[in-house]
Amino acid sequence: MIEPGFRAANVDQRGVPALELRHLHRFFGRLKAVDDVSFKAWPGQVMGFIGPNGAGKTTSMRILATLDTPTAGDAFVCGYSVVDDPDKVRRFLGFMPDSFGRYANMNVVEYLDFYARAYGLRDAQRRDAIEHVLVFTELRKLAEKPINTLSKGMSQRLGLGRCLIHDPQVMVLDEPAAGLDPRARVELRELIRLLATEMKKTVLISSHILTELGEICDSAAIIEAGQILAYGTVEEIQQRQQDNDDELKTARALNIRIAAESEIEHATDRLEKWLLEQPMVGQVQCSTGRAIFEFEGGDVEQKQLLQNLLTAGHPVIEFHGKSKSLEDAFMSITKGITQ
Amino acid sequence: MSTGEKFFHFAEFLTDRLNPILVKETRQALKSRQFIVTFMLLLTIAWLISVFGTMWFGPAIEYGSAGRAFFVAYFYVIGFATLFVVPFGAFRSMLNERDQNTYELLSISTLSPRQIVSGKLLSTVVQVFIYYSAIAPFIAFTSLLQGFDLPMVVLFLSLALAWSVFVSMIALMLSTLSDNKQWQAMNTIGMIALLLWQMAMAFGLSAAALSETIPFDSEEFWWAIGSSLLGAGSYFLLAQQIAVSRLTFESDNRSSGVRIICTLQFWLVWSGVLAYGCWYGAADVEDEAVVAFASVASLHWLLAGLFFSTESDHISRRVRRSVPRSGLFRVLVAPWMPGGRRGLLLLTIHLLALVVIGRLPFWQEWVHNTVTAIALYVFIYVSFGAAVGRWGQAITPEFRSAHARVLAILMAALAMIAPYLPPAFGFVRWPVGYSLAEVTNPVRTLDVVSSSSSGRSGIYGGVGMVDEIMLVLGGVAGLALLLNLPAMFKGVMELASYQHPAVRASATRPSELSDGEEPDAALPV
Repeated sequence: MIEPGFRAANVDQRGVPALELRHLHRFFGRLKAVDDVSFKAWPGQVMGFIGPNGAGKTTSMRILATLDTPTAGDAFVCGYSVVDDPDKVRRFLGFMPDSFGRYANMNVVEYLDFYARAYGLRDAQRRDAIEHVLVFTELRKLAEKPINTLSKGMSQRLGLGRCLIHDPQVMVLDEPAAGLDPRARVELRELIRLLATEMKKTVLISSHILTELGEICDSAAIIEAGQILAYGTVEEIQQRQQDNDDELKTARALNIRIAAESEIEHATDRLEKWLLEQPMVGQVQCSTGRAIFEFEGGDVEQKQLLQNLLTAGHPVIEFHGKSKSLEDAFMSITKGITQ
Repeated sequence: MSTGEKFFHFAEFLTDRLNPILVKETRQALKSRQFIVTFMLLLTIAWLISVFGTMWFGPAIEYGSAGRAFFVAYFYVIGFATLFVVPFGAFRSMLNERDQNTYELLSISTLSPRQIVSGKLLSTVVQVFIYYSAIAPFIAFTSLLQGFDLPMVVLFLSLALAWSVFVSMIALMLSTLSDNKQWQAMNTIGMIALLLWQMAMAFGLSAAALSETIPFDSEEFWWAIGSSLLGAGSYFLLAQQIAVSRLTFESDNRSSGVRIICTLQFWLVWSGVLAYGCWYGAADVEDEAVVAFASVASLHWLLAGLFFSTESDHISRRVRRSVPRSGLFRVLVAPWMPGGRRGLLLLTIHLLALVVIGRLPFWQEWVHNTVTAIALYVFIYVSFGAAVGRWGQAITPEFRSAHARVLAILMAALAMIAPYLPPAFGFVRWPVGYSLAEVTNPVRTLDVVSSSSSGRSGIYGGVGMVDEIMLVLGGVAGLALLLNLPAMFKGVMELASYQHPAVRASATRPSELSDGEEPDAALPV
């Protein structure tokens, strides 16, 4: 497991963590759905919770939301234990499950009004909360529309609005983008980004769309078979995975771009031939003005390669390693174990 | 501000103070197809009754007692809505919350389970009043006719309202009993059957009562009404508490509320019986009534005791924090705290009380023996079941409370049929009359005990065997007590010895502080 100890930008790590799982276990008979999971998230942090199906993400999230109790260990929201103080946890937490039911014979504003009342908001406080949520989720125009006629994207917005109605400090979102079209996904991503940046919420979000998570999360926890395999900022996870690959002498991908005012095709062919002659270089793929290849050397050898490239007279304008995406990190960290 | 705006603001102010579930349910119900159809059907049928009833009576409507006949017809119409449609709506409402995954979101709001149950129930009351308002003009019409009796109308409508609320509460309780789809389907069928049965019973009783003059000036009539309402009220509270417990968070105390209500019910019944005896004289309390009350109380405790004594003995941290600080007080309240060992102690205390009450010198000897035998049977069957349940849980943690309950029921069933297996398979001849080997069968044995003690001849014979029967039952009960006494003692002691954690100087989270302690200013509260 990659050790924690990360420090993300714009995250206040003083005082009590907004969210903490401490040696959390949840067993269903012999199945260890969650097996000694520990991590923390701080105020203002967007944390991705990543794992294959059946990894224990939803179970952990349900425990955080006080919908389930741990077999052992504990989870805390703003310092309150989900086992000892579920009532208090609920005041600080907004939970959006992967699928949530919708009441019949109820429109958008009535739905929000009901949850505002359920969270004890009254009079002007309730009206203001509903108005704020309608504006934030851009559901104002649909306020009078029956909720069972909303599209999937609008339903997810409504679900997010419901989570926000009591202005919780922590939001737990389980697969919020599942089943959304690309536009709705981008819009939802923007809303989640705003939650952290403007509203200073702590967001724990699970998703299978890792490219998107990589864009909005400043930290992540990767879980498989109920156990945390990696945990830290997204950059830390990617870098540590890169370092692991280096230690294991795993090939790293490198990119080269060349510029030639004329005869670019000829320059590309010359680069390809040259690369194929170099030691520790393999899997060369060239297209006009570009080359991508795998390099088995370390930093010293890479520096030497660049020097040789320039000495050989190739018109190089870019030379960089292809950094591992969150998806790459996820694929190399997890082993595809299912329970 | 215009009058309209003032009214709107006042209404909003008022609804803000109401139960949120009530507001939501009423909004939903008034928009639902079921409500609109029922309301229109009610109006149409009532209108048809008025028109065709008037035609049927013709000029006689002026002179006969048509008022009562019309009221009976309207009462049946409103009865269908309030005794079937409304309770079934309450049942479906709670089931739908679970089926459509809306309950989870509700349960993580700041609404308590009691508020959820009360909100659902109050919305049924609102619906009943709306249906009453629909039928009110027709009942006003009957007041113009001969035979209209205002006190009777008020009494019947009030009782129908009370009965509707009671049945709705039972429906809500039943809807919380299972999350399993198959059980819910069976539950729904059972619920429909129960509602139809109780509606038919209510209509039958109403028809019988409406055909006679209501004895408003009779003391016994009001005793009967009062005690029925008190009994129904106590079961209403029990059903409400069971529903609340079923919806309560797992780490919270789900058991004490139900235990307290069962205790109150027990003492309410016997206080009532003893108060009646003191008021009118002990001789006026029928021996059969005492045995009937004891039988009902025993059945009640058989069921409750089976659940209480097979609960998990684990006391969650949350419940521990709520135990009293005084050690002595903790020992005193131990039987009402969660846990199977303490549940069995609670059952034992109540059965002991039943035996003492049953052996009061006011009653005859057959009452003494019968009540004692009933209490012993309940204790024997529940306590052996509880002991086996505890052993099961000690062997494997996968042995749950539900398994213990099923096993206890199977053991009891097996014990009851065991005496009849050898003759059924032809190993021995069927006994003539009652034999002591049949002591495991309470139905036959209790008949023998009650009939022999009173000098009557029972259905199964066995005259003169009461002493032997009581000896066997007493011996087996003693063995069961010996088996369970250490567990009951342990159940009390683990609660009595529990130490409240002192405030930790190193506490960094609100949850790590002990009760009543203010968290640090730095903590986000």
